[in-house]
Amino acid sequence: MSVLEVKGIKKSFGRVEVLKGLDFSLEKGEVLSIIGSSGSGKTTLLRCLNFLETADSGTIAVNGKVIFDAASVKRLKESEIRENRLHFGLVFQSFNLFPQYSALENITLAPTLLNRGTPEEIKAQATALIERVGLSDKTDSYPCQLSGGQQQRVAIARALAMNPDILCFDEPTSALDPELTGEVLKVIRDLKNAHSTMIVVTHEMEFARNVSDKVIFMSDGVIEEMGTPQEVFLSPKSPKTKSFLSKDIEAV
Amino acid sequence: MSFIEVTLFLANGFVFSLIIFAVTLICGIPLGLPIAFCSMSRFRPVRAVSKVVVWIVRGIPLMLQIFIIYYVPGLLFGNPVFSNIDRYIIGNFDIPQDGLTRLLMINAGSLVSVLIAFTINYACYFSEIYRGGIESISKGQYEAGYVLGLTKSQIFKKIVLKQVIKRIVPPMSNEIITLIKDTALANCIMIPEIIKQAKELAATRAMIWPLFYTGVFYLLFVGLLTILLGKVEKKLSYFN
Repeated sequence: MSVLEVKGIKKSFGRVEVLKGLDFSLEKGEVLSIIGSSGSGKTTLLRCLNFLETADSGTIAVNGKVIFDAASVKRLKESEIRENRLHFGLVFQSFNLFPQYSALENITLAPTLLNRGTPEEIKAQATALIERVGLSDKTDSYPCQLSGGQQQRVAIARALAMNPDILCFDEPTSALDPELTGEVLKVIRDLKNAHSTMIVVTHEMEFARNVSDKVIFMSDGVIEEMGTPQEVFLSPKSPKTKSFLSKDIEAV
Repeated sequence: MSFIEVTLFLANGFVFSLIIFAVTLICGIPLGLPIAFCSMSRFRPVRAVSKVVVWIVRGIPLMLQIFIIYYVPGLLFGNPVFSNIDRYIIGNFDIPQDGLTRLLMINAGSLVSVLIAFTINYACYFSEIYRGGIESISKGQYEAGYVLGLTKSQIFKKIVLKQVIKRIVPPMSNEIITLIKDTALANCIMIPEIIKQAKELAATRAMIWPLFYTGVFYLLFVGLLTILLGKVEKKLSYFN
């Protein structure tokens, strides 16, 4: 059984149809990269998965249980939406750490407010997570004292603290300079080795190619091509994919 | 009248200034919050009513608003409630011959009308500062809270509020400093605040200098406020 099963997701903003019916699934422990040019709907897709946008039609099932059905979403209570969205974690392009809290407090805030254990347990878990992203020495630093890469690593630890089934990344390195990109990608790679299930929207083609198990190329709100990195990068079938990938090479 | 006597006489007046200042802040700071929420409401009529109220309150002079609160109950309902309170206290209680207690007792009703006018006026100004502060928080902060499964009220209380407070401290400091000087407007309905007291000395004893001397009271108090508000600002400077 797939950990994630997405069927027929459509989303329009006004008259602009951003997602035109997407279907895909993801197995436990797999890493899915979503690539494509800006405006192709990648971010909107992630936001639909995380209930930051409500898809107009389609269903989302996690571990075989339908957690979103556009046909019945209006009947969901706010508390149910909150419960459902915890299947997913989201790491933002712009980190969105809470500036008034230290790195550790950023991680412990949600588990504490949602009573996910005793204060000692939560602190121990957060300490372990911050070590996992390599920031044990920055526990008490505030976001403004951290570099972009460090902030993003704290943001990853913060998302992990709620134990999501699927961790989503929305262009996690786009706001970072090349030097800092590496440290964030390394953390994501480590997570893959620990068998986390992840969806990564990215412009890092090297990363998508080397780390993912599955790649989706999106264009104009549809999945233009889907397959293993070898299939998509080495022998793309769609002309749009070919053109997108060749532009990437030209740019370099 | 000696310098000390004049100082005490003016200090009695400054007590009225401080009462208006304190009550306006204690009532106006919380009252501004619901007004701000109404101004941001998704429900259009609520938003419209709130905007009109803020427009009126910010649009006419505070002195005029004091007159309105003080006189309108009498004009509309035939019951000048605030001056009636003054009259009732004068008729039914033992009033000391002089001193602060006397001033407070014979002006209690009028003082209430001033407090109401100041509170409404300042709450409206505060509400706009709050609204600006709340709307300046990036959408990403809310979204980060949502994806962690937090409720709207948890997000507001635990994430947004402190950031809003940090951003509104400088504009609030401005309003607070303006407020202590605005209390002088209370003398339009004969509240014996400090400038009214100084004018009293000018009228009864032909002393003009106390009028200028009142400035010292304001300056000292504003100096104190500046230090305090600076401390608050500094306390919140550990994040941005």
